[in-house]
Amino acid sequence: MIRTSPLYDSLRRLDPTWGELNGMATARNLATRPSAALQLTDLSALRRGGLKGSAAASWLESRDIPVPSHANSWASLAGGGFIARLGRSEFLLEDGPQGVVVSGVLAGLGTPAADVYPVLRQDAALIIRGEAVHELLAQTCGIDFAGMSAREHVVTLTLLAGIAVTLIDDSEAHSLPCYRLWCDGTYGIYLWDTLLEIAVELGGGAVGFDTIYADASSNTTNAS
Amino acid sequence: MTRLPPIPGEWIDRSRVLEFQFEGKPYRGFAGDTITSALCARGVRVLGRSFKYHRPRGVLSLANHDVNVLVDDGRALNVRADVTPLAAGMQLMPVNVFGTLQHDRAHKLDRFSRFLPVGFYYKAFLRPKWAFPHWERAIRKLSGLGTPNFEAPRVRTRNRHVFCDVLVIGAGASGMAAALAAGRAGANVMLVDENARIGGSLTYAHGGDAASHGRLQRLTLEIEQCATIRVMPATFASGFYADRWIALIDSNRMTKVRARSVIVATGVMEQPAVFNHNDLPGVMLASGAQRLIYRYAVRPMDTAVVLTANTEGYASALDLSMAGVKIAAIIDLRMAFEETEVGRAVAARGIRVMQHSCIYEAIAAPGGAGVAGIGVCRMTADGRADVATRMEIACDGVVMSIGFAPANGLLQQAGASMRFDARIQQFVPDTLPAGVFAAGRVNGVYDLEIRLRDGEHAAAQALHHLGMRSSVPDMAQRPPSRCPTLAYPIIEHRGAKNFVDFDEDLVVRDFTRAAQEGFDSSELLKRYTTVGMGPSQGKHSNMNALRILARARGVPIGTLSTTTARPFVHPVPLSHLAGRGFTPVRLTPLHSRHERAGAVFMHAGVWLRPEYYASPGKSKATLVTEEVLTVRRVAGLIDVGTLGKIEISGPDAGELLERAYTGRFQNLKIGMSRYAVMLDEAGVIIDDGVIARLGEHRYYFTTTTTSSALVYRELQRYIAQWRLDCGIVNLTGAMAAMNLAGPRSREILSRVSEMVLDEFGFPYLGAREGTIAGAAVRVLRVGFVGELGFEIHVPAESAVHVWDALLAVGAGAGLIPFGVEAQRLLRLEKGHIIIGQDTDGLTTPLEAALDWTCKMDKPFFVGQRSLRAMQARPIKQKLTGFVLPTAYSGPSPSECHLVIREGKIAGRVTSVAYSPTLKHIIGLAMLAPELAAAGTHFQIRVEGGTMLEAEAVAEPFYDPRGERQRPTLAQLHARKRPQEAV
Repeated sequence: MIRTSPLYDSLRRLDPTWGELNGMATARNLATRPSAALQLTDLSALRRGGLKGSAAASWLESRDIPVPSHANSWASLAGGGFIARLGRSEFLLEDGPQGVVVSGVLAGLGTPAADVYPVLRQDAALIIRGEAVHELLAQTCGIDFAGMSAREHVVTLTLLAGIAVTLIDDSEAHSLPCYRLWCDGTYGIYLWDTLLEIAVELGGGAVGFDTIYADASSNTTNAS
Repeated sequence: MTRLPPIPGEWIDRSRVLEFQFEGKPYRGFAGDTITSALCARGVRVLGRSFKYHRPRGVLSLANHDVNVLVDDGRALNVRADVTPLAAGMQLMPVNVFGTLQHDRAHKLDRFSRFLPVGFYYKAFLRPKWAFPHWERAIRKLSGLGTPNFEAPRVRTRNRHVFCDVLVIGAGASGMAAALAAGRAGANVMLVDENARIGGSLTYAHGGDAASHGRLQRLTLEIEQCATIRVMPATFASGFYADRWIALIDSNRMTKVRARSVIVATGVMEQPAVFNHNDLPGVMLASGAQRLIYRYAVRPMDTAVVLTANTEGYASALDLSMAGVKIAAIIDLRMAFEETEVGRAVAARGIRVMQHSCIYEAIAAPGGAGVAGIGVCRMTADGRADVATRMEIACDGVVMSIGFAPANGLLQQAGASMRFDARIQQFVPDTLPAGVFAAGRVNGVYDLEIRLRDGEHAAAQALHHLGMRSSVPDMAQRPPSRCPTLAYPIIEHRGAKNFVDFDEDLVVRDFTRAAQEGFDSSELLKRYTTVGMGPSQGKHSNMNALRILARARGVPIGTLSTTTARPFVHPVPLSHLAGRGFTPVRLTPLHSRHERAGAVFMHAGVWLRPEYYASPGKSKATLVTEEVLTVRRVAGLIDVGTLGKIEISGPDAGELLERAYTGRFQNLKIGMSRYAVMLDEAGVIIDDGVIARLGEHRYYFTTTTTSSALVYRELQRYIAQWRLDCGIVNLTGAMAAMNLAGPRSREILSRVSEMVLDEFGFPYLGAREGTIAGAAVRVLRVGFVGELGFEIHVPAESAVHVWDALLAVGAGAGLIPFGVEAQRLLRLEKGHIIIGQDTDGLTTPLEAALDWTCKMDKPFFVGQRSLRAMQARPIKQKLTGFVLPTAYSGPSPSECHLVIREGKIAGRVTSVAYSPTLKHIIGLAMLAPELAAAGTHFQIRVEGGTMLEAEAVAEPFYDPRGERQRPTLAQLHARKRPQEAV
């Protein structure tokens, strides 16, 4: 496999059952089974990409991709993915396990277009969910997430445990408090280890990819 | 002092006995006791020694408004025993004691107090100069509170953020009323109080009527039943920051509250009267005595004299009487009789009241460990003691109730302005910032019913601020019915033991002298006398100090400014400030590979980088030398992923770089790269890197490790400022990078890449996009380490794959990974500088021999104008190479060692190392220009003052003709394409 998750070294210590997703070794299941109070999972293997430029929004619209109407908001993509508008003219796209939108976008960006610039995304991508997730966020971030509505589809750019992250509330899709977050992959190990330490204190822990996307396991292949 | 029978509302749990030790002796207390209350209940009167004169001290406020009782518990230093809950197994020792509390050897300092006034050390130890170290050692030995335990484990606290509509600080009567009113209106309320239980003075100021406890119970129950109120007892607000960000401290953590509105109901702090020997154990504030009685069921003394000037003093006499304390007399400093309900109750009990009298002095019991009586005098018309009327009254305790100071530190931090209300002798809020409200005694209202209404009014204001209420009813402004605080509670005495500041052992004379010497503003007085600079931060002393200053200057107190109130209101443990200690660490995608290879890591900004790769039985120097020589002879691979990596696209990309960097980049050929230097407006070097042109309107370039964010931010600013049509992407984290360098690097790379690598197809400074081991890469032909080299940039997710592939195919040839230390040495041999190491915050390209990078004929680049001005003047220093004699074998100079000429500094070493390639010590130094000419000898002063002879030389030290990276024409003609040879 050419691709390696930014969190691979931390996950390796958790004795996972490995699978392959999008050419990346993915921890499908972990030896431990923490309570559902707080679960933390690496989703770095999902396809993602970015673009920016004054024509980026119209470029996306021309490809029938739903463009969030204002900065710092997000919309769903077919196949369980997201498109997040990070500013007036910058976007982050991520496919769900079965999505193919990002692949098309990346292919399209291979052809230069005026005022549209590809942004290589190599984020550490995580999901945190469970009833204790707001306590985790309260200990690491100065934003009042509990006071925000998931229905507003807000994209939050903030500091979490001292590093810059992009964060969205995905509770609607999971029927429990749930957040997706992305950070620079070089901070990934630090962020994962920090969040995991707190999650364990709160009665939770790390879980494998299959726990979050049980229906997606057919898309992964065993690599153990 | 003895434990009383159970009292309604007491805070102790008599069913839970806690055993502990104090000064090595066993004691027993109850759960709910503080350390001090438990000791008091066992009859311990002397609980501490004062800071300067080591005078015995006991309970004063029992409220964290003084630090008479500080103890060490083995792990924590300077624990405030008055307010720290007792715990089983505590092993407590008093601080600042030489011997025991009863027999403190340093007590003799008290006898010399007349020779040790404030500021004595400013004046006494100036001459003779040679003696100062002796005095310094002596003072250091004597001063300080407690002994740090360096073995104490690090405590990591779980700080958290919370949010609320209304934060009510202080859960006394007005705070509770405010919280209830806001909570009932549906607001999300937090009610915090520093005491273990809510209620404030309702928990102890009963005026002898324990039934008043019922009112507190009703309020408490209503708060408990209000679902929108969160109560946080044993929590204090330590600081008020911008946008109503308040730090709350409890025993376990800091809670960072962002409140939409704040009601400050922090109340007041009772103030001591100042008379001779007012610090003896047994002399305490009335509220301190009441707290002992009602919270901890401790009778504070057997026979008391109450010194008062307000209703509260009479009420405290009733409380003492209820607790079985005999009241020998009430000494009332006022002329007027106390015509109130409590005044009449006192009279009904037959308690002796001495009107318009004062305590002239307390009389110490033998050994100074307590009070034996008081000397009381009638007062003169001008407020002094008429010593001719002096008489003595026997007692074992004195209770003081002469007035209050507002606990308004948080309000001041919030930006409130204060004014002095002479009617109540108190500073009260004048203007308050938006969303901040005051209630209760801190707001200048004292009667209980008015305090309750004031709390409700503050809640209405907060709700209106939040848009939860359309209007706020006017609070009927009535003149205060009484003045709870005496204007000047200070009795002059011919002695000098009338203490104003108990933390610092400051007496009245210290203040009058300071004012006489010209330190006659509150700020100057504070600095000179150190009043308020002790651990209790003036809570019990600032107001009296201000009163003395006002009288000394003959001005009203309201005309004096108060000192600035800054966080923290009470000291905050460092563990709470550190929290979990979030310390972000940045790791390259290859970190695990370095760990596996035995790397010893070093910090480079927030990054961890391999310094070198360890091997059993070999020293660092040996290993670094081996790495250097392997790169010179075969090839090495170094992770340079920490470099900043930025991509710019768009029609104006070249224009941006032309303006931001000193060089020329619009004429750079596609597929080529060029060294680039960035300056600030002052012409100072701030960064360097390599810029590669990948397309007509697409550039990719590197920055130094520590400046990537700065450069990215600056370029973004330039794009906006100059309205350029280009987009910039920071790829520092998204792209990994590694440098494959050495004479066999091309051969090794060719085994895993189909890219054209020969000198014709991929020349020195070329830039190519292709694949290595199937992964998409960008490759720059660079020569930082002075060898044939390929800097490979690859998406982070593919870095491990490419690294492994290269090492696998290069192993047979002898390829090894090398670390930062070897790279530094290799580049030094080549004479390449490191920005930030060989330059500093003032270095210009003219001084760093980088003037060749500055294209002064360009229309513009940042810093160009400053450089032009500098070119007209001679430079003051020049970065120059130097060598030590080949035969020299002593210790090497170090970076920052100074170059000395005729006894004066003439430069400094910026880089230096022993070159295993050249077999002698080489370095770079910033030298006075006259020393920089090749062949000039100069001296470097090293450790111990030894002077080493060095010689300035031309650089580079290694491969001066650049043949290792760029073959000569003859070599090019003679050489076949490497691919053909493999």
